[in-house]
Amino acid sequence: MRIRAITAIVAILLVAALGAPAVAQEKTLTIGVLGPLSGGAAAYGVELVRGAEMRAEEINKAGGLKVGNDVYKLKLVTYDHKALAADAATAANKLVHQDRVKYIIGNAVGATCNAAQTVTEPQKVLFAFVCWGTANLGPDKPHSFRIMLSQWEVAEPFYRWVKEKHPKAKRVAIISPNDTSGKDTNTAVVKALRGLGFEVAADEYYERGTKDFYPILTKMLAAKPDMLDVAAAPPGEAGLILKQARELGFKGLKGWTAGVNPVTVIGIAGKEAAEGVWSPANINVKSDYVSPTVRKFGEEYERRYREVPGVIAVANYAAFDVFTKAMQAARSLDTDKVLAALTGKPFDTVWGKLVLGGKETYGIDRQFLYPVVISEIRDGKVVDIAQVLPAALKK
Amino acid sequence: MPSAAARPAVGFALLALAGLALPLFTRDAYHLDVATTMAMNLSLTMGLRLQMSTGQINMAHISFMGIGAYTSALLVTRVGLSFWATLWIAAGVAAACAVLIGSLALRVSGPYYFLISFAFSEVVRLFFNNFFEDLFGGPSGLVGIPKPTPLPGLGLAVEGKLELYYLMLVLFLLAAVVFIRLEYSRFGLVASTIRQADLLAETLGVNVFRHKLATFVLGSLVAGLAGAFFVHSHQVLHSSDFGLEPMVLLVVFTVIGGTGSVWGPVVGTILLGVAVEFLRQLGHYETLVLGGVLMLTMLFAPEGLIALPGKVARRVRHRRTRKAATAVGVGLAP
Amino acid sequence: MSIDLLVQALLNGFGLAMVYVLVALGLTLIFSILEVINFAHGEFYMLGGYVTYYVFAVFGLNYFATLGVAIMVVGLAGVVAERLVFRHLRHKTLNAFIVSLGLLWVLQASAQLSFGVLDKPVPSAFSGIVRGFGVIMSMERLVVTLSAIVLIVALYLFLKWSGPGRAMRAVAQDADAAALQGVNIELVSALGFGIGCALAGGAGALLAPVFAVSPAMGALPVVKAFIIIIVGGMGSLPGAVLGGLLLGCVEGIGSLFMGSAAVNVLGFLMVIVVLLVRPRGLLGA
Repeated sequence: MRIRAITAIVAILLVAALGAPAVAQEKTLTIGVLGPLSGGAAAYGVELVRGAEMRAEEINKAGGLKVGNDVYKLKLVTYDHKALAADAATAANKLVHQDRVKYIIGNAVGATCNAAQTVTEPQKVLFAFVCWGTANLGPDKPHSFRIMLSQWEVAEPFYRWVKEKHPKAKRVAIISPNDTSGKDTNTAVVKALRGLGFEVAADEYYERGTKDFYPILTKMLAAKPDMLDVAAAPPGEAGLILKQARELGFKGLKGWTAGVNPVTVIGIAGKEAAEGVWSPANINVKSDYVSPTVRKFGEEYERRYREVPGVIAVANYAAFDVFTKAMQAARSLDTDKVLAALTGKPFDTVWGKLVLGGKETYGIDRQFLYPVVISEIRDGKVVDIAQVLPAALKK
Repeated sequence: MPSAAARPAVGFALLALAGLALPLFTRDAYHLDVATTMAMNLSLTMGLRLQMSTGQINMAHISFMGIGAYTSALLVTRVGLSFWATLWIAAGVAAACAVLIGSLALRVSGPYYFLISFAFSEVVRLFFNNFFEDLFGGPSGLVGIPKPTPLPGLGLAVEGKLELYYLMLVLFLLAAVVFIRLEYSRFGLVASTIRQADLLAETLGVNVFRHKLATFVLGSLVAGLAGAFFVHSHQVLHSSDFGLEPMVLLVVFTVIGGTGSVWGPVVGTILLGVAVEFLRQLGHYETLVLGGVLMLTMLFAPEGLIALPGKVARRVRHRRTRKAATAVGVGLAP
Repeated sequence: MSIDLLVQALLNGFGLAMVYVLVALGLTLIFSILEVINFAHGEFYMLGGYVTYYVFAVFGLNYFATLGVAIMVVGLAGVVAERLVFRHLRHKTLNAFIVSLGLLWVLQASAQLSFGVLDKPVPSAFSGIVRGFGVIMSMERLVVTLSAIVLIVALYLFLKWSGPGRAMRAVAQDADAAALQGVNIELVSALGFGIGCALAGGAGALLAPVFAVSPAMGALPVVKAFIIIIVGGMGSLPGAVLGGLLLGCVEGIGSLFMGSAAVNVLGFLMVIVVLLVRPRGLLGA
């Protein structure tokens, strides 16, 4: 009699255990981050990692990422590709095959994006980067995303604004580093300028790492430009170009269409040379115009890393935000479902409203689009003065 | 104990066996990728070491890889030739360029040769990076280069990681045979004589210049071959692939392995190659630790890792003989 | 093309050439005495820059005093590097090359981890523009160039007239003979390396206000230094000065007519031609 009872109880317990509804289990979601973490381009890679770290930690601290019925702890795996294409391919291989990531969020330096894509696209890994260059987005690369506005999105609205506000400016001189992003930037800016009726006074390149711009500037300024655009120059070099242009007597309008960290520029160029510089591509975390979320992000970042965040850190922070929100919307980590959830409705991010677009330029909607904020440096401070919406957001 | 002639054969056999058997232990795409890169680097470092055996530190070695890569890529994408033809054409073009550049560079020696070869490598890199953009892709380089077509005759597809690995392995083993045989032949003897005392060699009737040029061209030919493989397996090509950074790594592999023996670069390339991959997980700290490893290894093993076992054995023997000598001296004091 | 433009271009090229000559002199000094090519030379330049940032920009010491501090601190660092590492590698050029490469990575990565990745601006101690004869030069650059010239002259006098200087020249000429004459090779080696690094550090300190400081700032000056030494001749001080002026001239004028990449190629072609036609350089021994 007892044996029967015990068997019955055990049987009931077993059935209960098997039939019970799935309990939320804690799992890990590993996300890869690539970047140049050493050498001359280190500033980009380090900012990417920091932006990723901050968002991942925020999510983990809040209890993890809840996707469907599961809760995931976010884990980051970061590799340094030293801005070398071959290295980036190997690192991407390691991420995809050994660390088994399905998401790589964060990469910089054009050539490395192309190299990493030879790994990520065939494996259908979602790959998000800041790299410029029209070659790295396209219908043949449906799993690749650019998470920061490039010159193809910014140059035209920016120069349209310049034309409106300063109709007398006719000749524009541009200068960028001699690499993938520089080439791409100048091409986009020249196209925008010609389309709007400006004259291109100079279209110059310099080798990355150059500090002495007197020789190139002497040539550029001899063409008598009304405006000088330091285009894709990184903050250190942009600051030097502006400083030296002023020393050589340039007193015209100044722009930095791919400007990513105006605060550094002010320090290096000096207040006078930096006065009046327009940047349509940065975010100023200390501005009065940004949301409290951005300001909080800026303060926390500065507290942790003792440096002011540039737009790349914000871009990756926002990217992590967008991707994790898409996972939640899709209720799945499956890349096809997340891909579907990404394209379509806008997201609320630190940039404001963000939507995927870019079909006219790249043939596919994989470019993050958000409001372009034009800032001006006034008296040593970065002040936001205008906002331009990309066409896709004007709805 | 295998005879002096058999030892290199044994070494080569072990190497070939290890290479062929690797996929039995792992089919992981990442491991195969690393192994393929290693096989490519081995071809490059063995060639570099051959040049170093005549006293040249050729900083332009990797430029010939670049020349081979661009040649093959353009012949396949623009002219429509088959990879199996362009592979060898690329090697030929690299060798031809080597004859030109080597004839100039080898007029000087020692540190001057080091510097002139560095200057040449920068000229080549800047040339491909900035001139004739429509052809070479400018600072963005080339993208979308196709993988090798199936092997003619057998119709074997060579697109997957495993097949590509075997292809590079075969190419490497072919090169290794040549390098090893050269090393143990009169050519190798002449080469090391040149390194140690080139004026003396000259008086003995050795045409120093021609020997150096031969090693330069041979190394460059193999580099061109490696370059053609590289560009079709990676499918993208950028000037950073044959700039100072990868060149320096090749020198590091070769010297840390040890330039005194043809097996030095093998040891250096494999051990350091594995170390670099292992250090990758340090992220930020990778470069820092690698720098430290380099310094310590070079300071404690100045003749390279391959010479370490010999050094240790000699130390042990030395101590044993000294002990024996003291024992004799003490025990039988008159 | 106006004369003014050409003269300005020439001035641009010469402008900071003297500072690169300082870097080149440090490199060639180390090579003459230890027969070692210090690949990490640029990192001592970078160190000089960061010392200047912390002592002048952050702490607020007078600029010229800071220059002195930077030179001494980096010189000391050089002596430490020599005692710990490079003394074992004298005359072993290949091994020294690898070790100095490792040192380069260690120093650059450490700088990045300690000082951060962003460029740090250093305020100019001298502002204003100097105009004359239709050309422009900033006061800052003028002071920097003059300071560099002072340091080069000081080095020349030191090598020519002082005891240690003559000992260094003796070792550079023939180390064995010098040893037989009673010269303390160890001391000369440490001193030589230290002074070589001090020169690089001084150059970094001079250019810090002009170009700001960053962990990778040492890469380009070292390439320029190599070109200068080869063209001017290894082991020759006047050769280095001449090489610097020549390079400056080529870069300044070249930039007027061609793009930056072509100008760079020109520099390397100059090296190749010199090495083929006159390997010991224009004024080399």
